[in-house]
Amino acid sequence: MSDRPARPARPARAVKLNVLNEPKDSYTGGPSSLCPGCGHDQISNVIITAAWENGIEPHRIAKMSGIGCSSKTPAYYLGQSHGFNTVHGRMPSVTTGAYAINKDLLYLGVSGDGDSASIGIGQLIHAIRRNMDMVYIVENNGVYGLTKGQYSATADVGSKKKKGPANETQPIDLCAMAINLGCTFVARSFSGSKKQLTSLLKAAMSHKGFALIDVISPCVTFNNNDESMRSYGYVKENEVTLHMADYIPHFNPMQEVEVPEGHFRDITLHDGSTIRLETISDEHDPSDAMAALMALHGAETGGKHVTGLLYFDATKPSLAEDLCLVDEALLDVPDDILRPDKASLDALNAEFLS
Amino acid sequence: MDRIINDFTINIATANGTGSQSANLILLQSLFDMGVPVSGKNLFPSNISGLPTWYIVRLSEQGYQAPGDRTHIQILVNPATWEEDIEALEPGSVVIWNSDTKKKTVEREDIISYPVPMTSMARKINPKLAKLVTNIIYVGILAELLGIDQACLESAVAKQFKGKATAIELNVTALGLGRDYCKENLTKSDPYAVESREVEKPQFFFEGNEAAALGSIYGGVQMLAWYPITPSSSLCEGIINYIPRLRTDDEGNATVAVIQAEDELAAAGMVLGAGWAGGRGMTATSGPGISLMQEFIGLAYFAEIASVFWDVVRVGPSTGLPTRTQQSDISMLYEGSHGDTQHIVLIPGTVEECFEYGWRAFDYAERFQTPVFGLSDLDLGMNRWACSGFTYPDVPMDRGKVVREQEVFEAFETFGRYLDVDGDGIPYRTLPGSGMDPILYRGTGHNPMGVYSEKPEDYYNLMQRLRTKIDNARDHLPAPIIREEKEGEVGIVFLGSMENSIQEIDDLLEATGIKVSQCRVRALPFHSEVEAFVRRHEVTIVLEINRDGQLYGILRRELPNDLVTKVHSVAYSDGMPPRARIYAERILATLEEVKQ
Repeated sequence: MSDRPARPARPARAVKLNVLNEPKDSYTGGPSSLCPGCGHDQISNVIITAAWENGIEPHRIAKMSGIGCSSKTPAYYLGQSHGFNTVHGRMPSVTTGAYAINKDLLYLGVSGDGDSASIGIGQLIHAIRRNMDMVYIVENNGVYGLTKGQYSATADVGSKKKKGPANETQPIDLCAMAINLGCTFVARSFSGSKKQLTSLLKAAMSHKGFALIDVISPCVTFNNNDESMRSYGYVKENEVTLHMADYIPHFNPMQEVEVPEGHFRDITLHDGSTIRLETISDEHDPSDAMAALMALHGAETGGKHVTGLLYFDATKPSLAEDLCLVDEALLDVPDDILRPDKASLDALNAEFLS
Repeated sequence: MDRIINDFTINIATANGTGSQSANLILLQSLFDMGVPVSGKNLFPSNISGLPTWYIVRLSEQGYQAPGDRTHIQILVNPATWEEDIEALEPGSVVIWNSDTKKKTVEREDIISYPVPMTSMARKINPKLAKLVTNIIYVGILAELLGIDQACLESAVAKQFKGKATAIELNVTALGLGRDYCKENLTKSDPYAVESREVEKPQFFFEGNEAAALGSIYGGVQMLAWYPITPSSSLCEGIINYIPRLRTDDEGNATVAVIQAEDELAAAGMVLGAGWAGGRGMTATSGPGISLMQEFIGLAYFAEIASVFWDVVRVGPSTGLPTRTQQSDISMLYEGSHGDTQHIVLIPGTVEECFEYGWRAFDYAERFQTPVFGLSDLDLGMNRWACSGFTYPDVPMDRGKVVREQEVFEAFETFGRYLDVDGDGIPYRTLPGSGMDPILYRGTGHNPMGVYSEKPEDYYNLMQRLRTKIDNARDHLPAPIIREEKEGEVGIVFLGSMENSIQEIDDLLEATGIKVSQCRVRALPFHSEVEAFVRRHEVTIVLEINRDGQLYGILRRELPNDLVTKVHSVAYSDGMPPRARIYAERILATLEEVKQ
């Protein structure tokens, strides 16, 4: 106990509620066990904010993850949601199976660069190829944290972590890969750019199809030194922002966002919400895959990180449409429909015998 | 010369991809329709076309279904194996050979030779399809030589080509041509003949894989994730084929999701995802696929996810002999994944059981919240077996301890995902999306509340409970089929597709004066009746199609010490379906050793 006298109590303020009349507390999770200052914790907070502000029922989200520092984070947000911390790199397949049974949940996958760019890159690729309806966040710091700081496959050439030599192996740019695969929502952000990341995540949640957000999320313990190209300092200095992103929810279109004076581009999302992209210098057209790839390669050449909504395509069918299933989630189909009746087997037996 | 009726083996040597399979199936089906007890084994290569294939048709009044010890009638169409096929024949055997084969002839004096210009005959009917038609010509020759009923042949053709009028006409013409050639040019000098038999119970031919597929459909499968691999692909394709008829509504929307995965790891992951979400997910694969799935299998065991995996076993290790049969994945399934594990394995020995375990697998998986394996093999899965029909499930779907309603949930004093409320080791679960007890499932250590824990007592208690849970499953699983002799001297414990050879083995042993009791294991962990069977017999032989005696190893480890010395292993595998004589001789040798 402190010796200081207690502060006078502030007048009670009304707890702010979202469109479902839920306080933000309904979306929080347990305390984080990550290193203090970890970029991943900032992303967890953004997830909480985005889910709350988007008015998603907290128990209708499924938190999916693989293995690694990032994949531990589902314990730290959305405590009312079921989650599955699966095996290393294989979260996309587990999510695909769960989605086949219950397509009515919002699948929020969190993964790391070890998970997504190395051991699980095949599963990521195939989930993109199927246009699996999910949000897939890569918490990308260029190193393996839990095994104490080895380079991952996204480490930039010339970047040097706290210990050992600089990385000389060509990195895999997950956004460029996703665009080439025809991913329908590709964004890059930075854990330190809270506003941009929140807008992008909200938009991803409103998207039907695979939404990849590659978030540069510095590892404060192993890769936050000055020579690292994924340190807070470096990214802040070298972030090239494509546009200012604002999210306008379908349930409240007029509030929150002012119409900007300069150029902007509105993109309508599947649930009727809008993401408004305000031009900063050159206008980026997210429907232009070539432009997105050029922006990525241009940034890479200059040692920069380009952030924003890189690519978007609302026209492709998602996995749900490909599966040709009944309207309700398979989970809700009663047992007596799942098991065909006896007459159908009698008929088959008779046919086999004829 | 005495006629030999309905008791001989025909071996048909052709090349893969030449269309011989349909001709062979027509032969098999027509004999079957005459009521002749017959079985067929397809020995095919891992190849699309060109490599040698043999099809073995065995006729046996005793109903023996194993491939016989020798060939009585050899069909020679494939020049690639010509000499070795002739050389393997015993004196007195019959050879029906394509005399149009370049540079090939049959010179052995001690065999009965029927040359037939199959290629030129086929060309006359259809020059473009000569290769294909050649096959049906030898069926026509056989039909005339053996006395196969024409009506049965024609109905078998119709069945094979299901309404394709041109194909049916072409095949019937070729059959007639074969028959005519035989009548006009060949003088029958062999003793072999077929005769129709009255069949007590009508039966049809069916493959184990298709039966397991149909069973899965009646088990309410909701998600099938699969990656193609011989010999399990036809199980998955069977499900896909039945969905439009059995699991699709009037608008054409299905109640089963089918996903062709990028590999077996992903297929396993999807099965776990489906189980986690509260659905019935399954995959089917073979040994190499199960090897790849090991990590997920451990997760399913540890996080207690209902999941169903079929393993249609082929010859291992590694790529092995991909198109040959074996029972060599028993240990891998029973103890799959790293760490201490134990899994429920269902082991059908007949197509009826393939169907039954197809639906029961889901009930066990949801009841015990654990992975359940169906253990079949290439012989059972891909060959055709006589079947008298499938029995509709006699119990409603068992969805296990799932809490779906808020009132039920609130009635729990304390709810913990891994809390053993009933003392049977099986906890209660809620489903994602329900908002009830929302926990983060994990493959890391956890306490009864589902929260991460590295505490020694939490880990220890969890592992003990998991053991209790699976141990308690024993007597809920299919009991062994026991056929007991009152002598009680020798007992044979065996499993799966060995069912098709066991009666012949039993008869061979009885001919030497040894009466044996049979105990066909139908599930792991062992039913308590297995131990009782071992106890009742002086000596027990564990008979299996592999090198190491995997079932024997498991049994030895689980039996009480006083019974261990009573159990002996006879394990043999060369890739072929089990030939009775080989196993009978090895049993005799082992019994001889035991005596000494």
